[in-house]
Amino acid sequence: MRAAACLGSRYRGDDAVGPLVADRLRAAGATVLDCDDEPTRLLDAWADLDLVVIVDAVSSGAATGTVHRIDPGEGPLPRDLGLASTHAFSVTDTLELGRALGRAPRRAIVIGVEGAAFGMGDPVTPAVEAALDGVVEAVLAELEA
Amino acid sequence: MSELDGETTREIRTDYLARVEGEGAMFVRVRGDEVEEVQFKIFEPPRFFEALLRGRQFTEAPDITARICGICPIAYIASSCNAMEAVCGVDLPEQVRLLRRLVYCGEWIESHVLHTAMLHAPDFLGYHGAVEMARDRRDLVEMALRLKKAGNTIMDVVGGRAVHPVNLRVGGMYRAPSRSQLAALVPELEWARDAAVEFTRWVAGFEFPDFEQDYTFVALREPGEYPIERGRIVSSTGLDIDVSEYEQHFTETHVERSNALHSTLTGVGNYLVGPLARYALNSAELSPLAREIAAEVGLGDVVRNPFRSIVVRAVETVYAADEALRIIAQYDPPERSFIEAVPHAGIGYGCTEAPRGICWHRYEIDAAGTISDAKIVPPTSQNQLTIEKDLTGVVEQSLHLTDAELSHRCEQTIRNYDPCISCATHFLKLEVERT
Repeated sequence: MRAAACLGSRYRGDDAVGPLVADRLRAAGATVLDCDDEPTRLLDAWADLDLVVIVDAVSSGAATGTVHRIDPGEGPLPRDLGLASTHAFSVTDTLELGRALGRAPRRAIVIGVEGAAFGMGDPVTPAVEAALDGVVEAVLAELEA
Repeated sequence: MSELDGETTREIRTDYLARVEGEGAMFVRVRGDEVEEVQFKIFEPPRFFEALLRGRQFTEAPDITARICGICPIAYIASSCNAMEAVCGVDLPEQVRLLRRLVYCGEWIESHVLHTAMLHAPDFLGYHGAVEMARDRRDLVEMALRLKKAGNTIMDVVGGRAVHPVNLRVGGMYRAPSRSQLAALVPELEWARDAAVEFTRWVAGFEFPDFEQDYTFVALREPGEYPIERGRIVSSTGLDIDVSEYEQHFTETHVERSNALHSTLTGVGNYLVGPLARYALNSAELSPLAREIAAEVGLGDVVRNPFRSIVVRAVETVYAADEALRIIAQYDPPERSFIEAVPHAGIGYGCTEAPRGICWHRYEIDAAGTISDAKIVPPTSQNQLTIEKDLTGVVEQSLHLTDAELSHRCEQTIRNYDPCISCATHFLKLEVERT
């Protein structure tokens, strides 16, 4: 089985990309795991899955709205993307912890959207808003591949 | 490190991820044996949410404020419900109040275990983080995850779901759980209570830096119970006030160099909220089992070493599991799961004990129930000044350490407070400047 895990806060500017993509994926009938700001809640939810597509905002210095696709294979997720910043225990660490405990999905892919504004109450940047449809298509393609 | 006027100057700076630029940072400058400056900023006050609440219906406050924190939504829901119920003159039926207390126990378990086992314990054991710890001590991490899940399950069953619970409302609950639904939680909670006792013994065996502060403790107090979802605000300096009197005694001052607010208690200065404060002011109200384990691990009546807060959190986890079992054992489903609150123009105040300390709310509503003003004071911003004082004391005492060791000790000092955002993790970018 395959599912998406979308992280972020609707109230923190471009960090809303995860929840906004989750809304669209659910409307399209995809399975979306619920974890909100606390990724360790994924450990049980994703343990037996074949593939999890993690959707999150990213801050790597690329142009705003850039969509990154990261397939870490057996390796760790890169730490220089600024993934999952505000979460107490990051999704990067959660994936590693899941692997150490035998509670990780068989494959994990990250679709990251480069954000620019992450302040509480900031609006979503137009370039990120414009990237949303493409992100949803990309995630659905991964889930259906 | 450099020699300046014959003295050594050291600067230690902690920045957080670029994407939350300006949200959290630590800066320490040391000259010779003197700590010249400590700046610490960690929590963005919920001003955005206060603005968002204005113009909304009073019944919407719990759902909106629950979004402030993914780890402790119940604290915000409960404080806002208390405030709205106060202004509407609603008294919760006892069984409904106990359901709110039960779901809050779930949040305490989840939050305390996440912090103590996954984020704080690695500090004391020399691990870079929980992932590394899990490779060596899989048994402990598995135990912690199961314990945390026991808390999640309470939030699922009573709160409607663990993430942003939806079953709580002004005046009570949308739907009260059946007796059998709660009874089904008992076996796992009995396991959780016993596991928390073992967990307390384990963390109590850590080696703690020899550091104490003469804190002014502030917590809620409710005769006959350990404070969670109600009580008067009391302090170790003798304050004993209704939650509506908070602003007459506590002040938030804007600090120019950051967006932070520093809370102070009039006539006293900085103060401490959270597990050490609750314990110091209320340990006699813990359950017999929690008192017994606290005595066994040598906590005494008051803990002034902030590094031992991990032990107090573990004792509170024992208490939360024990208290959840007590509530379930006596549970008699209420005839009505909520009281319909009729709005009255006025100001309502609410305060509850979030895992990190008191979470205080004030709302002004009109006769139609529209919110015209909101003020929320979360625990971490109340502790901000005290965290700076701790950092100053710890650095003064630890100047013999290398910069890397000193940086780590400072991070550990911050983690003692289980602050609300990623600053509690090992995800920090650390920079040590030598000038």
